[in-house]
Amino acid sequence: MSDPIAVLERALERERRARKAAEGLLEEKSRELFTANQDLRALAGTLEQQVEERTRELALARDEAVSASRAKSQFLANMSHELRTPLNAIIGYSEMLREDAIDAGDEALSTDLLRIHSAGKHLLSLINDVLDLSKIEAGQMDVFLESVPVGPLLADVVSTIRPVVEKNGNTLELVAEGELGTAHVDVTKVRQTLFNLLSNAGKFTSNGRVTLTAGREREGDRDTLVLTVRDTGIGMTPEQMENLFVPFKQADASTSRRYGGTGLGLAICEHFCRMLGGAIVAHSEPGVGSTFSVRLPARQPRAEHPSGSFERPARPSRGAVVVVDDDANARDLLSRTLAAEGYTVHAAADGEEGLRLAREVRPVAITLDVLMPQLDGWAVLSALRADDSLRDVPVVIVTMVGDRNVALALGATELVSKPVDRERLASIIARHVKAPAEILVVEDDEHSRDLVVRVIEGHGCTAVCAQNGRIALDRLAERQPAAIVLDLMMPELDGFELLERIAVEPALRAIPVIVTTAKTLSREDRGRLEGRVQQILQKGLYSQSDLVKWLERVTVPLAEAP
Amino acid sequence: MKGIVFTEFLEMVEERFSLEVVDGIIERAALPSGGSYTAVGTYPVEEMGRLVGELSAATGAPVPALLHAFGKHLMTRFTQGFPRFFAESTDALGLLERVETVIHVEVKKLYPDAELPSFECTREGPDRIVMVYRSPRRLSDLAAGLIEGCAEHYGETLDVAREDLSGDGQAVRFTITRGGGT
Ligand code: HEM
Repeated sequence: MSDPIAVLERALERERRARKAAEGLLEEKSRELFTANQDLRALAGTLEQQVEERTRELALARDEAVSASRAKSQFLANMSHELRTPLNAIIGYSEMLREDAIDAGDEALSTDLLRIHSAGKHLLSLINDVLDLSKIEAGQMDVFLESVPVGPLLADVVSTIRPVVEKNGNTLELVAEGELGTAHVDVTKVRQTLFNLLSNAGKFTSNGRVTLTAGREREGDRDTLVLTVRDTGIGMTPEQMENLFVPFKQADASTSRRYGGTGLGLAICEHFCRMLGGAIVAHSEPGVGSTFSVRLPARQPRAEHPSGSFERPARPSRGAVVVVDDDANARDLLSRTLAAEGYTVHAAADGEEGLRLAREVRPVAITLDVLMPQLDGWAVLSALRADDSLRDVPVVIVTMVGDRNVALALGATELVSKPVDRERLASIIARHVKAPAEILVVEDDEHSRDLVVRVIEGHGCTAVCAQNGRIALDRLAERQPAAIVLDLMMPELDGFELLERIAVEPALRAIPVIVTTAKTLSREDRGRLEGRVQQILQKGLYSQSDLVKWLERVTVPLAEAP
Repeated sequence: MKGIVFTEFLEMVEERFSLEVVDGIIERAALPSGGSYTAVGTYPVEEMGRLVGELSAATGAPVPALLHAFGKHLMTRFTQGFPRFFAESTDALGLLERVETVIHVEVKKLYPDAELPSFECTREGPDRIVMVYRSPRRLSDLAAGLIEGCAEHYGETLDVAREDLSGDGQAVRFTITRGGGT
């Protein structure tokens, strides 16, 4: 047996050495840990630094992009302003002069003026292309739907573009397949799309045929307008068609030199079709020709404006319109346009004057320029909206720069951009002006008639007069009034007889009638009036307010209609 | 081999026999390390072979039985040192199945220089798994002890059938059945 002390000593010695080895290992490990930690910290540091740098770079790039895009928008807005101002005058006055020339029978002059007019319009369209595309890119393009008869729209497009297409010795034909009817579309965008496709077709075709075919496909509750532009021109190769709808990419650089154009047209068309819920497709064969088919929903499910509301009123409604614009040319053009529509125009050269006029004449509508010295359009608008008596008057902002949404948010009724599309302006005003209700006054006595007419006009309606039943029938055949004020005792055809005639006419039966009479009505008389008149006022006994109350009742729904 | 295996081994020898036996086998084994082991160190695996051989000579117990006993002892230490692994399984077979895929993987992360065996594990039924042990260190007896220790930890009885696939102990198949051989 070994010595127990020696065993213990050896065990102790082993333990001591093991402890030292462990300590050595520990120190080595902690040194490793320390360096690893330092490496990590350094790595974390550089990582943080890298992240910071990247973030800074990105922020810089973003800021640059934002300011570049802002600068671009600003530049485009300025440029469009600068270019559109003189164009405004050129287009407007050439059109007006042309109308004069036509009236005077001067054909040569009118043709020249048409050339100026269409050259101006072409230039405008180029500017608009660039603007449109930047608007589309910025997501600021609005869709503006209206109900229009398709046939006349296409006929108008074709007649406008005809000189362009025929220039290359081409024929242009419009083919309507079946009944085209009325469509609810954005007219401006449809026109622009067709102009583009047709002028392209004309450009790339010589001594050939360009056809615009229009049809309507009704399938279940889907109603599609199909517009196809076909040409017999140079056509395209599959490679050329690849970038067809990409902005700034024409088939190749030489194309733009030879055929002109911005290269934006098709890109815009494609955007427009998509915005309208439709699509555009192209087919082409080199040397044979190209076909572009546009398919658009003819009825928009979520109509922004009730259909039919855009149609021009059968007869211009009368009423005062205040035109506020500091530019004399613009003011003049607007005034003439509105006067031609039958409005009484009061023009103001600045905001103050505009407000004064508005308070004085109580217009049915106001057109307002935005960029004016002193009191600008927005300030005038807010003053109008703050004025109890003018709050409800529709205000159309007419401007070169301006955002429709902003305008609407500030209380404008609509925004029209300059140069003003006269028809559009007229239709907007017609739509928003509460067309005065027309009341037919059937009365043989001049004084009684004048009195009733005065009450009617004081109420903001217009009066049409008939001296007896027969004349009243003639008037009714022309157009239907909102209501009839009827005397009973008249020569030729009296009130009772007139009512009998009206009762058998389905179109007239619903017109509200009020009787004013000096006659003491018998039982039999009352029986004949029963169910045919709304109210009977005894002459000399009724007060004006009775008539006014009735007028209010019968005209309110009309006036409220959008 | 990791120092912890040596320190545990010597501790077991001291507990079961005596400090004198520990001292004796270390002296006779004439080890390069001098027998000074620290749990955090790493030592040649041959030293373990010599220590076990000397212990067998000193006690008359066969080497396989000693390794088996050491495996059982080691497992009780593992249950204390690594309770998480045992909590993750609800029974012995479940834990054994995870030795290769989870436990030794974690061990390797903790001790990058650890020399571990490989286990090819297949489940043959709800109560049976087959583990094929492979290692140049030929420590299947240790593995058998570890397996038994594992069964004890979960309070189970395992029937362990062993077959030497390579003839030299480098590849050994364990067929492990729960419930004492049914
Ligand atoms: C929580 C459970 C376990 C832990 C922490 C663990 C850890 C370890 C460690 C640290 C080694 C030493 C490696 C070296 O010295 O380089 C080892 C080896 C070994 N382990 Fe495990 N182990 C566990 C469970 C098991 C089980 C259940 C078995 C048996 C099925 C097993 C079989 C082995 C074998 C046989 C070796 C020896 C090396 C070889 O044969 O190549 N281990 N283990």
